[in-house]
Amino acid sequence: MSPTSSADPTREETQPHYEDVESGDEIPVLSVSVDETQMFFFSAATYNGHRIHYDKDWARDTEGYDNVLVQGPLQAALLSRALTDWIGGAGRLVAFSVQNRAIAYPGQRLTFGGVITGKRADGLVDLDIYCMRGDEVLMPGTATVALPSKAAP
Amino acid sequence: MSVESLVDPESAAKVGTVVAVAAGEVCRRDWQRWAAAVGDHNPLWFDSDYARGYGYRDIICPPLYLQYAILGVVALGALRPDGSSGAVTGSMAFPKAPRRMAGGESTTFHLPAYHGDEVEMTRTVESIVEKEGRSGRFVLVTWRAEYRNQHRELLAEATTSMIARPA
Repeated sequence: MSPTSSADPTREETQPHYEDVESGDEIPVLSVSVDETQMFFFSAATYNGHRIHYDKDWARDTEGYDNVLVQGPLQAALLSRALTDWIGGAGRLVAFSVQNRAIAYPGQRLTFGGVITGKRADGLVDLDIYCMRGDEVLMPGTATVALPSKAAP
Repeated sequence: MSVESLVDPESAAKVGTVVAVAAGEVCRRDWQRWAAAVGDHNPLWFDSDYARGYGYRDIICPPLYLQYAILGVVALGALRPDGSSGAVTGSMAFPKAPRRMAGGESTTFHLPAYHGDEVEMTRTVESIVEKEGRSGRFVLVTWRAEYRNQHRELLAEATTSMIARPA
């Protein structure tokens, strides 16, 4: 899949290629502080009625948290956004795996990124990925992406 | 081992069986609302000319949105007390291990989904294993789901897990 003239030239310039990346390379970090408006829209978009994401009394008194919680699937979605922003239009997300390890509250600064752990034949690149709050990993995972080659496809 | 199992025979019998089938239409407005809620304005999800420039026949559904395209509809009166719908989980109750938490999810994406695709998900119980952790015994349940389009093409395979602990 090579870009044609209709592809966004600014995105094309930043398109990573298989030959350009090495193990140990870090992908650009996405930094997000989720607020309750974003949480509301994400719950609506995912048909998620769990009170723990919008009912503070329920979150505190029934489930024992300090506040409403950022949805785990929103953490995962932001992590996949960091990947698909990086791989560009010619890249493809092949595999995505995450574990829910710790919760996040709205207003906290979260960072989403990854580091390349290996390159395989046919353009596949493996990464360790993460959602972190400061030095704490809230959501570790792994991903595989396909990157275009500089050689003709 | 004389300790009573946390897994009741009824749940154990579900290993290898289909516990949920759900279908739904992939709709670009829905996935674009999801993407906007993530702050994800990737033109592959929004701009047909851009997507065609990379060999797709139109804009594509964000890979992680696919799991929501098959969710059903639940009446307000049928919600659980915590507000969740329980739609399409194929969830199981473990009376001896009622505290549940999501474990993780692992998905392999094979083909993109397009607006108007009819997607069917089939979920089977892959395993139910009792384990001993630092904080005591727990049950690890693993499901495997397949997503296929109206041409029976495999779009994605997902493995999800849940941990259930004694009260």
